[in-house]
Amino acid sequence: MTNSSCFTFPNSYFKKIFLAVNFYFIAIVAVFGKIDPADTTPISTQKDAINYIEKIKELNASTYWPHINPQLFLQNVKDNIYKPLEIYEGSNTNFCGYAALSYLPLHDDPIGYVKFMLQIYKDGKARMGKAFIEPSAEIMNAAGTLKFKGVLDIRPADQLWFLSLADHFKGYVNFFDHHYNPGDENTFWASVNYAKFNRMVKKLFNYNVATRGSDLMHPWIDDLYNYISEKMKTGTTVLYLNNATLYKKKHNTLRPGIPTHYVILLDIIKDEDLITITYWDYGFRSLRQITPAFLKKIVFGISHCTKKISPDE
Amino acid sequence: MEFRIAQKKYHLMNRIKNILILFYASGVLCSCANRNISKYYFENQKILDSIQRSYKEYSKPIPFSIEFTNTSFTNISIEIFTDTLKYIYEFTLTENRLKDTLQKYNLPVPRVIEIISQMQSIHCTWINNLDYYVGRKKNYLVFMSIRPTLLNFPFTNKKYYILTYFQQPQYYDSEGRLLDHRRRKKIRKINEDVFRRITDKVAYTISDRFR
Repeated sequence: MTNSSCFTFPNSYFKKIFLAVNFYFIAIVAVFGKIDPADTTPISTQKDAINYIEKIKELNASTYWPHINPQLFLQNVKDNIYKPLEIYEGSNTNFCGYAALSYLPLHDDPIGYVKFMLQIYKDGKARMGKAFIEPSAEIMNAAGTLKFKGVLDIRPADQLWFLSLADHFKGYVNFFDHHYNPGDENTFWASVNYAKFNRMVKKLFNYNVATRGSDLMHPWIDDLYNYISEKMKTGTTVLYLNNATLYKKKHNTLRPGIPTHYVILLDIIKDEDLITITYWDYGFRSLRQITPAFLKKIVFGISHCTKKISPDE
Repeated sequence: MEFRIAQKKYHLMNRIKNILILFYASGVLCSCANRNISKYYFENQKILDSIQRSYKEYSKPIPFSIEFTNTSFTNISIEIFTDTLKYIYEFTLTENRLKDTLQKYNLPVPRVIEIISQMQSIHCTWINNLDYYVGRKKNYLVFMSIRPTLLNFPFTNKKYYILTYFQQPQYYDSEGRLLDHRRRKKIRKINEDVFRRITDKVAYTISDRFR
């Protein structure tokens, strides 16, 4: 007889519980964690997309998008396929997050992009990846009417694309401004916080997204150059930057130390004390030499997007 | 007791008077700013027009923009646009790298250096070519930002005089605001700012951003 004052389980009872818990976890892994061969990033080539879209000679006007001329729309989609780096967010808009993520379908799955654009124009709604996008009436009325935004003025398909994404995806920065009003493309309505950006990439294009950083704090990485250059070898790297420092627009000594801009990093080379970065900043690629300290100062987030590939490939 | 009430009244009146003076002064400053920029343009027309003409001519074959990055006007950033890339360089004015770089892109070195000196002399912070669309037609204007010393007080948002040089005469409404089109009567915005007439081809605004 034991002298214990509390109740004790017999050993066999422990074994049963242990086995049950093990079985439970194995079942969870089997159901949710198994690699689904169909869960891959859709991939197509520019040639596929050109073959597909060149067969379409004419589009009928859509009743859903009253201010979009079908021929201009089609031409804009074709331009994006032929020259994917020319897509432009528009001057003074908050569309940079949506422009940045456009890089992925336009390079890795252009045919998916074309099909989505044609369907949303025709039916007023369409699915891309896990997102079913059905823009509100305000968006349908606004697309094709944005003005004084540079070349975006004459690119109705890009207006539709940016406005529809901004209307569908919401983050905490959009909390106080959920509904579109004319001019909202320049306001918090269109803003993209870091978590929202990464969520959009996963949902729309089914990429694996590894992230470092946040909306308020710099990522804690000792050697930022090494980290970024390593990541660039295996996927597309998006940098979340402090635009007020990258492109100075005022001479104020006090500048907000927060990130507001997304760019696609295309190349990074270190030469002695200077780092040369080449990035896609919508409409064109930019090359700039900066110091490691400046790089650390501007970078708030690094998103590393890799394709999900079937285990058979 | 009566003395205290009188003293309080006196202090209150003084405070109201100070607030009113402050409001009046800021009102005068704002209205002066608008008049100042036209005055500023006509006083400096020769040099401003010369910068614009030279810039327009020399940036045609290889587009570039010039920015003074510091308030002492000693450091510049030059963006040079080629077919494939936009190169962004930063220099101090005394560096030889500046001339070497201009030469590398076949830019007329003495002419560009002259533009830079002229910009420095009138505190012109930024110059570039900006595209805008009328209907589906692409047009260009020269966009210049000047940092007036009068409008910049410590701990306040800095203001810039912005001048835009159009290639064709523009339409303005009765209040002198730049219009998108003669018939549509819609106000044209550039960088989200409303511009006003100085001449048929030159408009201005006051902005808290220089680009």
